[in-house]
Amino acid sequence: MPTLPDGSIRVEHVWKKFRADRSRPLFYDQLQRIRRSVAAGDPEYRWVLKDVDLEVEPWGSLALIGINGSGKTTLLKVLSKVTYQTAGRVQVQGRIGALLSVTAGLHPDLTGRENVFLYGAVLGMGRDTVRKKFDTIVEFADLTDSIDRQVKFFSLGMQMRLGFAIAAYLEPDVLLVDEVLAVGDANFQQKCLQRIGEIVRSGTTLLYVSHDLASVEASCEKAVWLSDAVVRAAGPSKDVVTMYRTAVEKNATLLSNKEGVVQVLKADIRAVDGGQLRSECETEVSLTLTAPERAEASYYIGISQGTAFPMFVVNHQGQMPAGEFEVRCKLGYLPLPKGHYSLWVAITGFPKGLRDPYLQWQPLVSFDTFGPQRRNPPEGVMVLSPIYVGAQWLIS
Amino acid sequence: MSEPLPARSSGDVALWVNDLSTIPDEPSDDLLYHHKVRLLESVKLLWDHREIVYTLAERDFRAQYKQATLGILWAVLSPLATLAIFAIVFSRVKAFPHEGIPYALYAFVGILCWSFFASSVGSGGSSLLSNKALLAKTQFPRECFPLETMLVNAINTVLSWVPLAVLFVIFGRAPKLATLWVPLFMLIEVAFAAGLMLALSSLIIQMRDLAQVLPILLSLGIFMTPVIWPFSYIPAHFHVVGGFYVNLQIVYGFFNPLGPVIANLRTTMLVGHNPTWAPLIAAIFGSLAYLAIGFRIFKRLEVNFADIA
Repeated sequence: MPTLPDGSIRVEHVWKKFRADRSRPLFYDQLQRIRRSVAAGDPEYRWVLKDVDLEVEPWGSLALIGINGSGKTTLLKVLSKVTYQTAGRVQVQGRIGALLSVTAGLHPDLTGRENVFLYGAVLGMGRDTVRKKFDTIVEFADLTDSIDRQVKFFSLGMQMRLGFAIAAYLEPDVLLVDEVLAVGDANFQQKCLQRIGEIVRSGTTLLYVSHDLASVEASCEKAVWLSDAVVRAAGPSKDVVTMYRTAVEKNATLLSNKEGVVQVLKADIRAVDGGQLRSECETEVSLTLTAPERAEASYYIGISQGTAFPMFVVNHQGQMPAGEFEVRCKLGYLPLPKGHYSLWVAITGFPKGLRDPYLQWQPLVSFDTFGPQRRNPPEGVMVLSPIYVGAQWLIS
Repeated sequence: MSEPLPARSSGDVALWVNDLSTIPDEPSDDLLYHHKVRLLESVKLLWDHREIVYTLAERDFRAQYKQATLGILWAVLSPLATLAIFAIVFSRVKAFPHEGIPYALYAFVGILCWSFFASSVGSGGSSLLSNKALLAKTQFPRECFPLETMLVNAINTVLSWVPLAVLFVIFGRAPKLATLWVPLFMLIEVAFAAGLMLALSSLIIQMRDLAQVLPILLSLGIFMTPVIWPFSYIPAHFHVVGGFYVNLQIVYGFFNPLGPVIANLRTTMLVGHNPTWAPLIAAIFGSLAYLAIGFRIFKRLEVNFADIA
């Protein structure tokens, strides 16, 4: 086996199976199980990783994306040797720093100070190193005032900040991070992203699991999309994320409740001048719908990049006529760079929340726009795009 | 397997879409992972991670007495309380011969030994379970958990030597010179306890029923070990058949090294004789066997720990 340079990760044909959940480990069930497995030869397992390959070079950064249960965390656990693969080869060269859980190492009865040393040691930092970095860690976590209190009296957010801050000052060759940007408030998240950027620039290889696609694009150059235990695609994070978004959108279409009270007959988005959809062009969304009865309603139209979280939403309150009717919404200005987007729509009752929505929030059509590329933000900065869009509505 | 990976090697940043139809249902046999354990390597790895053992022990030790007003004083107070109960009970009871030594002292030595063993095996046995969160999320040698628990118990035991000293003063006695042998006995006990603890902790995490059975076995064990009765109850010349005799103390010592350990602790520290070597040597081999087998079982099973914890 050739030795890779420090900071490399190589995963070849890795398989991992889990035993089926033993929800009833009772004596009778155990006997049944033994009888069955003797008869059929260990049939009770499922694959959580199938033939997974990936490779990261030193200084590289790779994100693992995919829906819950697709095997991302298991792969991280295999890489960090918390668990072992069933088959295949895993090589991680150099010191591994794995942050699989932000708070697992914290002991509630100990003080923040004691926990810094405890978690530091557990993550592989020596006592002297922790002592040297102690002040930086506490300052990063913004806990200077409460560091001598017991951690059980910390809020969950404070605990997570403490956990992340300790891990942020590990100096491994390979850093494995699982879903930690759910940590703390927006300010702290930005701080975390910046810190991750610093770590990567200092030469650490980063492998990062997240559902937050914006942060994936911001901090990783490459991405791997895991779906149902297999690698679906790998490559530059932008391309992989786009592919993933498209798939999520398809899924959302399948999942969304089309059996609502209001039926969608037609949905369309086009440039008012009849040409292609372009950045900054005047745009019109038109929907043809049927409703069983007259009602007060709120209309929502949003544009998203695949996920259910739109980049912007416009809304309108008004009458909903009975029978077939048309909604036209004119956007004075389409604030989108070149790309692939989807149009999401919902209709709720008015006043809000009195009853189920007439039409669930769902993607209706997807479309491409032409125009300039999106400008990239500085490394490690997420783009969240709160945009104001003026709109004119017409319901007939 | 040695063939190059599909076009994803260095510098290549093109999007690669997996052809899912090429994925087999099962991995081929030559890919299967076999967990190799090399003794020296794992011992070295453990040594490299000794700081984690200390830190975790410190965690448990501190957490044990946090928020108690008397704090760490309890580590000395509770064995003193045990001793008081002892002194009262055994000043009335004279059930067993005790070689001219005050019975409280005689029994307390046995109790000290036993309680270290029982608490190490008991809490060490469930140490993987009680550290589930860390087990499933962090990576360092898994032996750290049981060993850390044992270290905490060792510290507690050392602290309960304070009441032992009190006893010596009360009875106007001093430990004999032969007490210098005690570290050897302690090593035997530690090896024995560590072996059992490693085996049990790795088994308990797979078979939780054992966690219920263990305390029962331990409460039985105190009566099967010469804690309150003298080791000499076990015959050194047991007549088998014809002219053949077997030294049952040796056989017993191999399977329960605690027997010779407690017996010799008494004869050296309290009476001042030299160790009785035959059962003691059996105990040395016995405890090493327990350690070796326990460690092996632990390493064999550690592959699954994180998955079933």
